[in-house]
Amino acid sequence: MASSNVVVVLDNGGGLIKAGIGGERDPTAVVPNCTARPLSSKKFLLADQLLSPSEDLTSAVLRRPFDRGYLINHDLQSTIWSHIFSSLLKITPSSSSLLLTEPLFNLPSIQRSTDEIIFEEFNFRSLFVSDSPSLVHLYEASRRPYDVVSKAQCSLVVDLGFSFAHAAPVFQNFTVNYGVKRMDLGGKALTNYLKELVSYRSINVMDETFLMDDVKETLCFVSSDVARDLRIARRRGNDNYFRCTYVLPDGITHTKGFVKDPVEAQRYLTLSEDGELPHSEGTEEADQTEAKSKPSERNKVDLTKNEFSLSNERFLVPEMIFRPADLGMNQAGLAECIVRAVNSCHPHLHPVLYESIILTGGSTLFPGFAKRLENQLRPLVPDVYQVKITTQEDPILGVWRGGSLLASSPDFDAMCITKTEYEELGSFRCRRRFFH
Amino acid sequence: MEQEVIEAEMILPTHLRFKKIQMHEKYPKGQARGRHWKHLKQIIQAENYQNYPPDEPNYVNIETPPSMHPRKHICDITGFEAPYSDPRTHLRYANTEVFKLIRSLPNEYVQRYLALRNAAVVLK
Repeated sequence: MASSNVVVVLDNGGGLIKAGIGGERDPTAVVPNCTARPLSSKKFLLADQLLSPSEDLTSAVLRRPFDRGYLINHDLQSTIWSHIFSSLLKITPSSSSLLLTEPLFNLPSIQRSTDEIIFEEFNFRSLFVSDSPSLVHLYEASRRPYDVVSKAQCSLVVDLGFSFAHAAPVFQNFTVNYGVKRMDLGGKALTNYLKELVSYRSINVMDETFLMDDVKETLCFVSSDVARDLRIARRRGNDNYFRCTYVLPDGITHTKGFVKDPVEAQRYLTLSEDGELPHSEGTEEADQTEAKSKPSERNKVDLTKNEFSLSNERFLVPEMIFRPADLGMNQAGLAECIVRAVNSCHPHLHPVLYESIILTGGSTLFPGFAKRLENQLRPLVPDVYQVKITTQEDPILGVWRGGSLLASSPDFDAMCITKTEYEELGSFRCRRRFFH
Repeated sequence: MEQEVIEAEMILPTHLRFKKIQMHEKYPKGQARGRHWKHLKQIIQAENYQNYPPDEPNYVNIETPPSMHPRKHICDITGFEAPYSDPRTHLRYANTEVFKLIRSLPNEYVQRYLALRNAAVVLK
């Protein structure tokens, strides 16, 4: 009966579903949690079908089962799940257990409907529901057994996901629920802001969610000195080190957009403190010949080619994480959010929490994110405490790996609620076991 | 379930005692299911969070409060940093040139500029 103790680990995020078998290192499937219909067809494509390179997703109609990070459309979600279970994971739900992650403070009515799908539609044998911060803590503590995270058994997990950001203190593998603080800003809002900026300044891309997601992921970065970078971005021509061009798909030769000159786009990485590029003779010569051959082409926008150039948008979009007030949101930035989360815990925990900040979630992948956060956080923290920020090696998969670790532990079966228990007690009384 | 039923290998729709409406009553077979999901805002409203004790953490009260730092003032017309604000129109402005422009604006336009940053006076 090898198939009877399969544990399916499902990290059900608003943007990406990470699904796989417990005990393995990497998930079998990392697919978008949405369904989309390209303009050319009438059929909605599910999850992994959206990832195939031949699909033309220009102005695709998009549907997501999530609204602001919470599962609202259970019909759509069960369609996506059944697709994943049957064709990607190839498991039979009735002979396997499920480990599901849930957003913090999930609403009771949503929990009830989720249980209904899992036990009455898919007929899973047993279920364990966890929240993401405790799984991230578990994974990090097991990776570094001599670090503060595992010795003090507590950490501050900053999960910056698709729909929102949570700063959650974790103590002895449990999320301290009165310390959690939420900021209503995530990857989706950032993509939308970028769409707005580009649409206002060059081409209307309001319908191109997939394309702008790619632009955001490849070109955006977190600036370490915004005032300096804004000055540089104001320069003309080749002196503007942030300017780069993104080519839109034309639907014939390529269906995905790409960065026109990847070397040009990476220039910001070599900037020195005073905002100048290190000069080497080779590049200077190349620059001069280039400048001679096409003196005015750089400043001209070629309307026949479908491309747009970005300069200050590249760092102003991730900047919103640190200053949401600029978007008109009445919430404090991420650094203040972290301070508030720590302050609501017991004072004895403060030094340890500041020393074990773990960053996870897809939106922490912007280059320079951890450095900037530390710069912002340091003045807000009493100077007797150390601030140490660790980034997970793979922030998107961190939660899933923690889940996989938990699923392979010997106590896992005892922690689950089984189908029989559910049928007898119902969702609400079963859920009490998970303490959230 | 009764022993005879199990022996007869009949497939009965499951009856769950804790539910008021059973799954098979809610979604009868062979009927189309329309849109039956609610937006998050509707779900939160149905949850009646205002009746919960205020010291218990829940979705509504874990939101980060506004920043403690003073906001940067930005000129309503040019977008530069604005050290001044006009006491008559309440618009913020960067320099004298903008100030001249502000004073020449009709009131309707001023209200529109204010509305952009949610500062307009709305008479109901």
